[in-house]
Amino acid sequence: MTAPPEFNGWIRHFLLTIDLNFRSPQAIVYGYLVPVFFLVAFGSVFRADTPPLQAQMGQILTITILGGACFGLPTALVAERERGIWRRYRLLPVPTLWLVLSAMTARVLIVASAVLIQIAIARAVYGTPLPAEPGALMLAFLFVTGAFLGIGLLIAALADTVPAVQALGQCVFLPMIMIGGVGVPLAVLPVWAQRLAGFMPGRWSVEVLEPCFDGQNGLHAAGFRLGALAVIGLAAGASGTKLFRWEPGRLAPPARWWVTAALASWAAVGAVAWHTGRLKPVLFETGAWSNITEAEIAQIGFDGLPGDNDLVAPLAPPALDSAESRGFAAKLSLWPKGRLDDAGQSIRNLVGIAAVADLCADPRESEIARLVFRQLTSGFEPAVARQALAWIVLSPDDGQAITRAPELGLFRHPPERLVRQRSVIYAEKYLGRLLRKIPD
Amino acid sequence: MSVIANGTRLDVSPDAKPDSSNSPAVSVVDLWKRFGATEAVCGISFEVAAGQVFGLLGPNGAGKTTTLECILGLRHPDRGSIRVNGWDLRTHSTQAKRMIGAQLQAATLQDKITPRQALSLFGSFYAQSFATDELLQRFDLEAKGDVPFAALSGGQRQRLFLALAMVNRPTLLVLDEPTAGLDPQARRGLHTLIREMRSEGRTVLLSTHDLGEAGQLCDGIGIIDHGRIVAAAPPAELIGRSRAPARLIVQTAPPLDAAVASALPEVIGASCGDRGWTLETRAPDRVLAELARRVSEAGAELLHVELNRPSLEDVFIELTGRPWSGEDLPEVR
Repeated sequence: MTAPPEFNGWIRHFLLTIDLNFRSPQAIVYGYLVPVFFLVAFGSVFRADTPPLQAQMGQILTITILGGACFGLPTALVAERERGIWRRYRLLPVPTLWLVLSAMTARVLIVASAVLIQIAIARAVYGTPLPAEPGALMLAFLFVTGAFLGIGLLIAALADTVPAVQALGQCVFLPMIMIGGVGVPLAVLPVWAQRLAGFMPGRWSVEVLEPCFDGQNGLHAAGFRLGALAVIGLAAGASGTKLFRWEPGRLAPPARWWVTAALASWAAVGAVAWHTGRLKPVLFETGAWSNITEAEIAQIGFDGLPGDNDLVAPLAPPALDSAESRGFAAKLSLWPKGRLDDAGQSIRNLVGIAAVADLCADPRESEIARLVFRQLTSGFEPAVARQALAWIVLSPDDGQAITRAPELGLFRHPPERLVRQRSVIYAEKYLGRLLRKIPD
Repeated sequence: MSVIANGTRLDVSPDAKPDSSNSPAVSVVDLWKRFGATEAVCGISFEVAAGQVFGLLGPNGAGKTTTLECILGLRHPDRGSIRVNGWDLRTHSTQAKRMIGAQLQAATLQDKITPRQALSLFGSFYAQSFATDELLQRFDLEAKGDVPFAALSGGQRQRLFLALAMVNRPTLLVLDEPTAGLDPQARRGLHTLIREMRSEGRTVLLSTHDLGEAGQLCDGIGIIDHGRIVAAAPPAELIGRSRAPARLIVQTAPPLDAAVASALPEVIGASCGDRGWTLETRAPDRVLAELARRVSEAGAELLHVELNRPSLEDVFIELTGRPWSGEDLPEVR
């Protein structure tokens, strides 16, 4: 039985799209070399992790898919439209959408090849484990690629020229890379950025791809994320299909409503995520502090710490008792960031208060440091406090670092790097006292 | 070929299935198309019978390309109907498109695509198509079959687009300014091809602003000006309708006396130039006979006689009241 000519044509166009892609130096650079550049950049930072790069594969693959779908697809479509090729296709006895679909399907395979190359390079160069759940990864890949291809189609519909594709693509790409949880891990972003990332598909993409590598959850709890990607992809795809132009020319005025509809899907997903409690602050390796062992704690030395009356990290005597100090202690005990569900992060935040007061040369710096210690001993189990303080000492860059607390009268905000360094000193002083290795 | 006057409606139902044996290859009735404030096509109607070469002749911006684009389904007319081999384009565009091959103005392809790939791709969308190798051979592209499009010369690209237009064995070939930018040799090749199409029984609908080309190639011509067909007929009939005088250019030894030249019967104008006397007349045969008699009587000798009958250019000037220029109208898009 022979296939109908429309299907033959579809297959030919599909194969031709792939063939031309691999013969285009520009497509090779953007589709393959740039993602490898990101992989190497991630590798240079996270190669020492255990296992190396596994926790970043969701981000790396999202960047790869974003590039192929939001740049590769619209660049090819708009370049062909500028050259009048889609005008020529329009003469064929098939709907234009038929060929758009063929181009998009070819793009799925092109992006898939780039993803496989990334996984292979990560494995070969950094020893990153292969995905623990390849089936789940394939499903996640299809949802992510579908969402980004929908956005790519909309970009192709809106952009008049290839440079306009680059500009529009960057408008989507850069926010997701910078504050969308794609380029920079969510946990190291400020809380407002984490929440904003919930309105962008990049976050949901990372969160459905990543679990497929560590094998802990796979896609078992990813229903909302997959749904979010589907909604965003369908809205953008429908808008892109409606606005698709087979020849250069001005968009009709209703275009703005279709673009609004596509963006509204981002807002709707973010709003639902917010109201269903899915946009809670993400902590860097939540619970990592709880893995600190007594042996690790025992190896921490307390030599060379500055004195309690020194300029750096001063600490008032235990006998401190004044009306002001009692008032501050009351505020500190109710301070929300010191009462998080995550005890380790709460303790890091409290220690951070002592560090900020010291760095800002607050007149109460030594008293605040003492009151923080009291809060640690009274508000937490000793074992928990020991583990969390050791975590701050051993992993100074983990978790979030507070740099100001206006609600406690600390309005200035020193650089985060210094806060983390000073937190280590205070954590050592506190831990030494808890272990009775430093006299109080 | 038959032509309908502007505004005349055909009694056709859009959903009716065509009787291809009796249907004209192209039937355009009361076609209107506006771009913003500009009326590009204003009520054009014409028919092209199967197997004919029909040319839409007019200056740039006259509405030729817009008319062809409507026939090809690239534009939706504001009003009017178009049938291709009886299929109404509004309701049966797919069936109509299967029968049409087209070469567009300023067409191009992907830089890396080869002629073989392009022919194979476009042919694959049709149930009936020419074999790729057959087309490469016919259009003298065998040696360039696997060369990227970007490396083809202008003439080779032109031949490739003609091959693409032929890929589906079309019954109607639509060519928009097919010889624009071609060198004389390539132009002659294209003219030969169009004649071959006609001899194969295919209908050719082309647009041109080349008067000579239209006169040489077309069985029928529709002259378009400002979106309207101002006249439509076979070229000879159009010229025959012209009231412009023929021009006789006569050189004698000794030169003709001015009094003799202007006194010749049926001569309505006479002027003397470098090439001799130019005599304007609507009865050139009689003037020529009388001239020969008088020259003989005077013992003089006829050195050169040239007869220029009215041309399509004269027809255009008569119909539009302004001189012919292929570039004189503003583009409508």
